[in-house]
Amino acid sequence: MIPLALEEVSFTYPSGVTALREISLTVAPGESVALIGQNGSGKTTLARHLNGLLQPSSGRVMIGDWDTRQHTVAKLAARVGYVFQHPEHQIFKRSVQDEVAFGPRNLGFAPARVAQLVEQALQATQLSTVADQHPHDLLPALRKRVALASVLAMDTPVVVLDEPTTGQDAQGVRAIGEIVERVRAGGRTIITISHDIDFCADHCSRLIVLGGGRVLLDGPRETVFAHGDILEQTAVEPPQLVRLAQRLRLPLAWEPQPLLAALEQSQRQR
Amino acid sequence: MIALYQHRPSPVHQLHPLTKLAISFGVIVLALGLGVDWVPLVLYLLVLVPLSALARVAGPFVRTSLRILLPFAISLFVIQSLFFPEGNTILARLGPLSIKAEGVRFAFAGTVRILLMAGALLLTLLTTHPGLLLTGLVQKGFPPALAYVIVTTLQIVPQMRERASTIIDAQRARGLETQGSLLVRARALLPLIGPLVLGSLLDVEERSLALEAHVQRHNAQDQPLPSAGPHLGAGAQMVDCAGHARGDWLPAC
Amino acid sequence: MIQLRNVSYTYPEATTPALNGISLDIAAGEVCAVIGPNGAGKSTLCYTIAGFAPYHFRGELTGEVVVDGRRTVEHPLGELVKHCGLVFHNPLNQISGARYTVREEPAFGLENLGMPRPYMQARVNDVLELLGIAALAERSPFELSGGQQQRVALASILVMGPRVLLLDEPTSQLDPHGTKEVFAAIKALSQTGVTVVLIEHKPELVAEFADRVIVLHGGQVQLDGAPRAVLADPRLPPLGVSVARYTQLAHTARERGLWPAQAPLPVTLDETVAGFELPSINPSSSRPAHGSGQ
Ligand SMILES: Nc1ncnc2c1ncn2[C@@H]1O[C@H](COP(=O)(O)OP(=O)(O)OP(=O)(O)O)[C@@H](O)[C@H]1O
Ligand SMILES: Nc1ncnc2c1ncn2[C@@H]1O[C@H](COP(=O)(O)OP(=O)(O)OP(=O)(O)O)[C@@H](O)[C@H]1O
Ligand SMILES: [Mg+2]
Ligand SMILES: [Mg+2]
Repeated sequence: MIPLALEEVSFTYPSGVTALREISLTVAPGESVALIGQNGSGKTTLARHLNGLLQPSSGRVMIGDWDTRQHTVAKLAARVGYVFQHPEHQIFKRSVQDEVAFGPRNLGFAPARVAQLVEQALQATQLSTVADQHPHDLLPALRKRVALASVLAMDTPVVVLDEPTTGQDAQGVRAIGEIVERVRAGGRTIITISHDIDFCADHCSRLIVLGGGRVLLDGPRETVFAHGDILEQTAVEPPQLVRLAQRLRLPLAWEPQPLLAALEQSQRQR
Repeated sequence: MIALYQHRPSPVHQLHPLTKLAISFGVIVLALGLGVDWVPLVLYLLVLVPLSALARVAGPFVRTSLRILLPFAISLFVIQSLFFPEGNTILARLGPLSIKAEGVRFAFAGTVRILLMAGALLLTLLTTHPGLLLTGLVQKGFPPALAYVIVTTLQIVPQMRERASTIIDAQRARGLETQGSLLVRARALLPLIGPLVLGSLLDVEERSLALEAHVQRHNAQDQPLPSAGPHLGAGAQMVDCAGHARGDWLPAC
Repeated sequence: MIQLRNVSYTYPEATTPALNGISLDIAAGEVCAVIGPNGAGKSTLCYTIAGFAPYHFRGELTGEVVVDGRRTVEHPLGELVKHCGLVFHNPLNQISGARYTVREEPAFGLENLGMPRPYMQARVNDVLELLGIAALAERSPFELSGGQQQRVALASILVMGPRVLLLDEPTSQLDPHGTKEVFAAIKALSQTGVTVVLIEHKPELVAEFADRVIVLHGGQVQLDGAPRAVLADPRLPPLGVSVARYTQLAHTARERGLWPAQAPLPVTLDETVAGFELPSINPSSSRPAHGSGQ
């Protein structure tokens, strides 16, 4: 299990757009972090630095003891698994099972280990029943989960999910939530990029808020949600229950239980 | 950059898009019509390359045309020199296989033709804004839908390139090594081509839906305008009202 | 504006129908949200209204689809799509690829309509402004973030001012502010008579912006009604559709006597706040003013 560190990372696209400005942050092993912020705030750009798809224009990115500049993307893939925003593009095998096995095989795992990892990943993404089907015959929402499974199966110490819940129905969102929990329970680091703040509040204990390529806020949920003014700047709304608590002038809470307890108390007082 | 078009101040850029297309096709017809193996190469070197220099796009022109040519050239030379059916002049032997002179000649002829065709079209694309090309075609009475299809087909090369780079990124992120020996690179091709072709097919499907929405409307223009009138009115209102929703327009609707 | 009479549709080579006996009547100016689990037939419903099924997808359509007084089977697709704006889920495939800048992309459709240039430019600027992408006007549409691309795709349809808007998860990648702005714009449009069919997974958004909600499941309409009635319906979770956190909370609160037993469950933040702020929740007290809207 390895830590991540960004040291004063800035990045400018060849077209001249500066997407990251002097970002410094560290993520300890086993953390579940959400990366949130307005469209174009730099979330995807930052994530693409973690496995070397992009190299910082200045500053450096450390994955454990590796500087991303000194290793190929394929090497870094053993440490950081990354599920793309539109992962449908990467699917090419004839069966879901083979598709999921592609990553772990690339990493040179023994066949028995590959088989075991594939099975676990299919189970976690609730795809075991379609293991033998052609990925292109699946519904788009399931296809997206195939891509997720194919990265989970690589058993990397760090997993990055870019907008995992878009297009998923209630059950799909639940399944992805369970995956995040499971990865975290296994002591691995998970970084989720999402506009679904309720999902982030449920499954990520630390929130990093980006705006204009900078880190505007970084901390545990209670701290971040208390800064409504800063969230506002980068087009983020607190979770539904937090907004409710704020409107009712109750202590900040994003889970139903504490909110219900507070409601009970305030109604008893009346 | 996704686009082939290179914006430069040059006399070639100033030419009417259709003139350029006509010159391109003229050069192609001339080269293929003469049926002499080396003519396309000469036309490429003595006509197209100087023209591209005049248009100040010689660098991208030569680079892109070679990049398009390379896969064709390799497969042509490998397959034709080894397996040309009527070949009997043997140049060299490679174990059970033999390289035949007729095959090499055939491969050369094919390669330079592709070079010329790719080059001729490329020159037009590099120097013509696709919007102008589209407008040019439509003004000359091309059915808009057909014009649209021509222009987007010509643009498909850069679109494929964009898509290819996305897929390569995704596969590298899954541990696929793409740098290194030729063998490593060859092995990396399969996971690229599969999604590229399949993805492009699915894409074409959805894209053509989007096109129908765009282009069919265009056809509707030929019909008497009354149907378009209230239509546009509603559209203008839309923008007004949407602005109103954000509170920065006066309540007019 | 849109009428479906016992419509069934089966994709070519599919064994089961994607739409199965759907009858619907959507009035002009209505914002009709369509919700349901993955594979329920939501996108197919949009394709059918637009005429893409069966024209584009082939397959077998039975029943009658009438849009703006035209039976879709009796008119060429070109005529049908004139009035329908369809926004797909994946923005990249919507971007025409024939244009190099964000500004030119929506202008493309207007040029086709032969709109005078100055008017067109003003119109495009307004839409870019509306969708928060005016600052990106000179960029390539391919060099944008996911959400920015989705905004461009939406802009190129909105700018055409269609009478019927069919939106397939149009804000799936937008940040919360962008989402609300788009929905507010759609709502305002509907008030000018534009009919909107909106596919959306998030119940709290549907509650706020839709006039009517249809729940699809297995190609059939399972529930159909006002948001307040449908989105608090106990049958939703078994149908694979989530309810808003407010609704869920009030439901638990009701079990614990914290929400008036006879009051309907809330579906928006305002309703929830109003319900909890009641001076007394004693069941014998008068019914809350707010929750009585059923
Ligand atoms: N390929 C690219 N070329 C040039 N600029 C780009 C490219 N991709 C993104 N950008 C720009 O970089 C900035 C950051 O984009 P990024 O994709 O990281 O945003 P994001 O936070 O992921 O947004 P979203 O929520 O919309 O996905 C934006 O201004 C965007 O326009
Ligand atoms: N092009 C197609 N060819 C064959 N079958 C299809 C096609 N598109 C969809 N289907 C099938 O039709 C049914 C309805 O699919 P549809 O895409 O309309 O669902 P949806 O409600 O939009 O789902 P989602 O929430 O995943 O977008 C599904 O069973 C699906 O497998
Ligand atoms: Mg992004
Ligand atoms: Mg759909």
